Amino acid sequence: MDTNSRPVIVKRMPERLNARGAREVWREAQLFLNSDRPQLVFDLFQVKQLDASGVEMLLRCMSEAHKRDGDLKLAAVSPQAGVVLELTRTERLFEIYETAADAVRSFSGFLPNAMKQQLLHQKNPPASLAA
Amino acid sequence: MDVRALLLVNRTAEELADPIPLSPLPPPLLEVAGKTPLQRTVERLRRFGAQTVTVLTEADVLPPASSGNGHGETYLNTVRERYWRTAESAFNDVAQEGAELVLVMSLGPYAEIDFEKLVQFHLDKHARVTQAYNQSQPLQIFCISASRRNDAASLLRSQLSRCRVECAHFEHTGYVNPLQDARDLRQLAIDILTLRTETTPCGTQVRPGIWIGKGALIEKGARLVAPAFVGAMAKIRTHAVITRCSSIEHHGEVDCGTVTENSTVLPYCRVGAGLDVAHSVIGAAVIANLRRDATVEVLDPKLIGYVAAAAGQRFLNAAMEFAAYLPRQAWQGLFGKEKPAQPDLQTALGQTSPALGNAAGYQAPACDANAAEEFPSSLAVVRRYGHQ
Repeated sequence: MDTNSRPVIVKRMPERLNARGAREVWREAQLFLNSDRPQLVFDLFQVKQLDASGVEMLLRCMSEAHKRDGDLKLAAVSPQAGVVLELTRTERLFEIYETAADAVRSFSGFLPNAMKQQLLHQKNPPASLAA
Repeated sequence: MDVRALLLVNRTAEELADPIPLSPLPPPLLEVAGKTPLQRTVERLRRFGAQTVTVLTEADVLPPASSGNGHGETYLNTVRERYWRTAESAFNDVAQEGAELVLVMSLGPYAEIDFEKLVQFHLDKHARVTQAYNQSQPLQIFCISASRRNDAASLLRSQLSRCRVECAHFEHTGYVNPLQDARDLRQLAIDILTLRTETTPCGTQVRPGIWIGKGALIEKGARLVAPAFVGAMAKIRTHAVITRCSSIEHHGEVDCGTVTENSTVLPYCRVGAGLDVAHSVIGAAVIANLRRDATVEVLDPKLIGYVAAAAGQRFLNAAMEFAAYLPRQAWQGLFGKEKPAQPDLQTALGQTSPALGNAAGYQAPACDANAAEEFPSSLAVVRRYGHQ
């Protein structure tokens, strides 16, 4: 059931998410964060360098989104970004999805794990049943 | 019997092609639990009774000053292009000095060879060249009769890949570590700390399973969980946790509140405050995460940095830090806000790193170990007596 009519904004992060890159992203993200109940997905697919300022910016964005009853989710986290997020203990603070499409879909409704597995089962039936 | 050893330390093509190396030194020259694999091999050779040990390295791979253990091993150095030629002439020199047998080893892999058995096997078989094998895989470890210079020359010219005569096969059943990448380096540290190797950590065992090197500083509030190793002059700051076979090598530094789990911090490397270092090897501005199988360059010194290798530079840095400390304290006392109370270990470990500036101290509720304790007690009672 899709009850969500608000737009989800997907933002692709730059290759270098250092102090300078983080400032630019923050400036751009503020436009969306100031709206009511913002729904953001940051795609970290091409991030090769992430430092403390980049992680700080991600946390600030998440914090701002929460203040306005919205959410920020991460998608396609590159191994480089993943290592730094784990190192800085921030990985567990974000919802992380394999692809941006999965992250966008996750805003449209809450599916308990049991239902997710059921859907997966319907999509890919076991070999014996399929036969 | 006059047995001498020639140890060859050079970088492989794979190591040279590595875009993000952990260290400029090859793995045999990286310290693991206080000593390099090279030092450990030299010590084994000395215990066996090798008359002299000659170590040949590449010009840009100079072994650190601590590599020599004062037993008179000779270090030779040459450019990469002439490496194998120099090895050949080093073999000839050793033979001319009166050696009867020469043990030629390429490090590379760390193997705890029983040299006595190897030499005895070589003599029993009347072999010209004997090669050590492990589980039928050849090791670049040879015992060569010193009079067979041409055999040695052909072997060294082919970079130890083939010999003009058939080698006798000596099966080695002891410990071998290929030391090819960060994973092997970590495995060697685990094996040494769990005493699966004959060699032991270099330091004083202050408690069962905890070894501390000379001059190591462990601040009050830091926690070491066995097995763990802290090298000479290393610093473990307050509220840091070193656990699950972690090894902090000499002059390494782990800042306040950082958890180091199943990880190695290489010499002169510094890990920032409030971080989680798990299943990783920390090198010079590089972290190799073994679980994710990713090596990442971290250029932010707040996360991973260096400690100056030169003693003078370290003294200068410490003096500058001390000079800046008093004015900073005075300024904070006059104009600063009230200093927040220092959190206890449990709280410190649940917060994000101070390196994250304004976002520091963010609590991580998903991982809150106290969540179970905060569960309403009434509900627990309902569950317990729900059937009544």
